[in-house]
Amino acid sequence: METLTIDNLRVEYRSRAVGDPVKTAVRGLNLRVAQGEVFGFLGPNGAGKTSTMNVLLGFVPPTSGTARLFGVDVREPIARQRIGYLPEQTYYYKFLTAEELLRFYAEIFQIPKAERTQRIDAVLKLVELDHARTRQIKTYSKGMQQRAGLAQALINNPDLLILDEPTSGLDPIGRMKVREIIQRLKSEGKTVFFSSHELGEVETVCDRIAILHQGELKTEGRVSDLLRQHGANLEQIFLKIIGHPLQP
Amino acid sequence: MNPAPALLAALAFATALATGGRLLVWQAERVPDTGSVFDLLLGESRRAFAMHAFIKADAYFHSGFYPSVFDLAQVADRNKTHLEESIKSAGNEHHDHDAKPAPARDWLEAFGNHFHPSQHRHLERFGDEREILPWLRLAAELDPQRVETYTVAAFWLRDRLNKVNDAEQFLREGLRANPQSYEILYELGRLYAENDRDVPRARAVLELAIERWLKQEARKADPDKQGYGQILAQLADLEERAGNLDRALAHFARLKQVSPAPETVQKRIDELLARQGRPR
Amino acid sequence: MNTIWALAKIVVLEMIRRKDFYVLFILTVLLTGMAGSVNLFNDHSIVRYLKEICLLLIWVASLVIAITCTARQIPMEREQRTIFPLLAKPVTRAQFLLGKFLGCWVATGLALLVFYLFFGVVSASREQHWPVLNYLQAGFLHWLMLGIVIAATLLGSIVFAAPSSNGTICFVCVAGILLLGRHLNKVALGLAEPLQSLLYGIYFVIPHLELFDVRDLITHNWDLIPGGVMALAILYAATYTAFLLTAAWLVFRRRPLN
Ligand SMILES: Nc1ncnc2c1ncn2[C@@H]1O[C@H](COP(=O)(O)OP(=O)(O)OP(=O)(O)O)[C@@H](O)[C@H]1O
Ligand SMILES: [Mg+2]
Repeated sequence: METLTIDNLRVEYRSRAVGDPVKTAVRGLNLRVAQGEVFGFLGPNGAGKTSTMNVLLGFVPPTSGTARLFGVDVREPIARQRIGYLPEQTYYYKFLTAEELLRFYAEIFQIPKAERTQRIDAVLKLVELDHARTRQIKTYSKGMQQRAGLAQALINNPDLLILDEPTSGLDPIGRMKVREIIQRLKSEGKTVFFSSHELGEVETVCDRIAILHQGELKTEGRVSDLLRQHGANLEQIFLKIIGHPLQP
Repeated sequence: MNPAPALLAALAFATALATGGRLLVWQAERVPDTGSVFDLLLGESRRAFAMHAFIKADAYFHSGFYPSVFDLAQVADRNKTHLEESIKSAGNEHHDHDAKPAPARDWLEAFGNHFHPSQHRHLERFGDEREILPWLRLAAELDPQRVETYTVAAFWLRDRLNKVNDAEQFLREGLRANPQSYEILYELGRLYAENDRDVPRARAVLELAIERWLKQEARKADPDKQGYGQILAQLADLEERAGNLDRALAHFARLKQVSPAPETVQKRIDELLARQGRPR
Repeated sequence: MNTIWALAKIVVLEMIRRKDFYVLFILTVLLTGMAGSVNLFNDHSIVRYLKEICLLLIWVASLVIAITCTARQIPMEREQRTIFPLLAKPVTRAQFLLGKFLGCWVATGLALLVFYLFFGVVSASREQHWPVLNYLQAGFLHWLMLGIVIAATLLGSIVFAAPSSNGTICFVCVAGILLLGRHLNKVALGLAEPLQSLLYGIYFVIPHLELFDVRDLITHNWDLIPGGVMALAILYAATYTAFLLTAAWLVFRRRPLN
């Protein structure tokens, strides 16, 4: 069964001022992600990656087309019961501690009380924030905040993770950790759908990728197939597909 | 479409309407002698606030019940507060007022009447009159030229709260701010006569009050005869009690000229003459 | 319900950890203390003016707390982008709004509790009696009124973009209703016809917040409001609150988040 299905998705932003042109961020996107896959969602800045994710999470209604998670239309809140999401940039409630934040999200997922503490301990350990769990988030560094974000995405033990540039702002060790976490989730049979500009990292962890450019899907396929087809590394493929003149 | 500006305009309009209405009522109550613009702004607003404090005292006198400016706007003549009336007719507890509140205009108003004092009620426990004093004190701070503030406060202080010294002090403070006020002198004279039983002092003050009255009011087209009569009556009583019947008779004779009920004054004169043992 | 309550707890926690409430409370205590220390004709049992001033301060402070706390909730969620991870969880927008409403309402309720306790102490210190039921009734009505104000502010925070302009608008509206709401019908009756019906219509439509203002009854030791009237007041407040929350939901339901 497919975990994530996108059919003919079109996303338009209508600006508030009258007379401004309608901005089309995604045009006719079709995408399928199967269970257990790690899927890389690539594209230059402004390609429409975040817009697509916003639809998947119900933040923005699709202009046309449909999107489903686990076969449920994304307009239904229940579609989000089994997913974890890490936004592109986040600041969490600064007046809370990491532990309180996770407890709050655990309550929203209605994780039974007995399991809650266990779950919180587990994710804090995973993202290595154990030592700072009782400090308010406003005292965290950017990398620590990013890791707190990762922890909240994992709190409900999700079957599908949607991560918008999970490694941005992290140091090399942090990136490696995130890669490890993704691989670990994959080994547990979870699906990971993430966007990234770190092509080397994508190459190492992803099963399949899609490249989006100006709202349109340019390429989709297994990483190994693409590498073989083009006889080049992912970066070269990426630049070629978006029509960027290659360096000699 | 942003509805904010329209909303703000509507609100500003409503506020202007309300304050405008208020100002009109004030204007009607006291015609200001226009000085400089600054004086007008500062002085008038201070006086308006003093008036407000005085009204507050009146509301306290009625346990929080007080018709708003909007109710007042519909009652044409209303220049004296109830509080003042009740003191003018001091002694007899009953002063006339419509005890029945006006019928509610709609169900909402009828319902709302449960949530604020909506019946005419006076302070009930003896000594509760002290509660009005802070507002009179404030009124005096804001507008020291407002004579009623001192006379009303002094009345309650000495008559109900047994604080003769504080009453005297407050009246003297009022006198310093209004040296020409015969009303304050009258209250002070009453205090000396009724509470201190200090006849010479009371006489001196009351006679001074008469002097002031004659100087200020006598030439006016519509002099405050009631105030004059009160001073004379007080003075006559004082002399009568002190045994100076001649002087008392002289005051009564003057009182008869200004009194709205000369027959009763004549009756007093007759009694006095009889006591003097002289034939009519 | 669990979800709504979880959201509400966060709002309450926020209020506890912010300084606003403490500042306002200390200010109220200081100003009341100053008013109480004035020597009035050497009489130290004068209390009603003090009750009035204290209640006025409490009303102003509670409105400041309720409106500022509510007005910043949704703009802050959006500006700090905390709304994204939150709504990416199985939370409906209705639950989100209800949680925010409940949190603000409970938080101001807790603040009111502290304020009215202080008021009780002030009045008992001079009056030597504790009309606890009357105070509870007044505080409860006050709280009901704040429910309407919070729902209106929540709606405003979705309709108007800037939290500060929303706060100002809510303040002006609430103050206007509190001061004039009761008299609108009398003003209307003095107007010419098309305006009269219009103003009378407004009079019936606006939420009469001043109904819940029973400060004068408390100051002057009037009797309790009968139970039937209280029940109607609860119904009245609940109707307006529900209406405003529904309106907020209708606006927010389909609103794109970025
Ligand atoms: N709220 C909005 N209103 C109008 N246009 C928007 C809005 N959000 C995004 N866009 C436009 O939609 C297009 C796609 O933006 P999107 O954020 O999806 O890109 P992205 O692929 O995530 O880029 P990046 O790699 O920089 O994060 C861009 O051209 C952007 O300008
Ligand atoms: Mg993006």
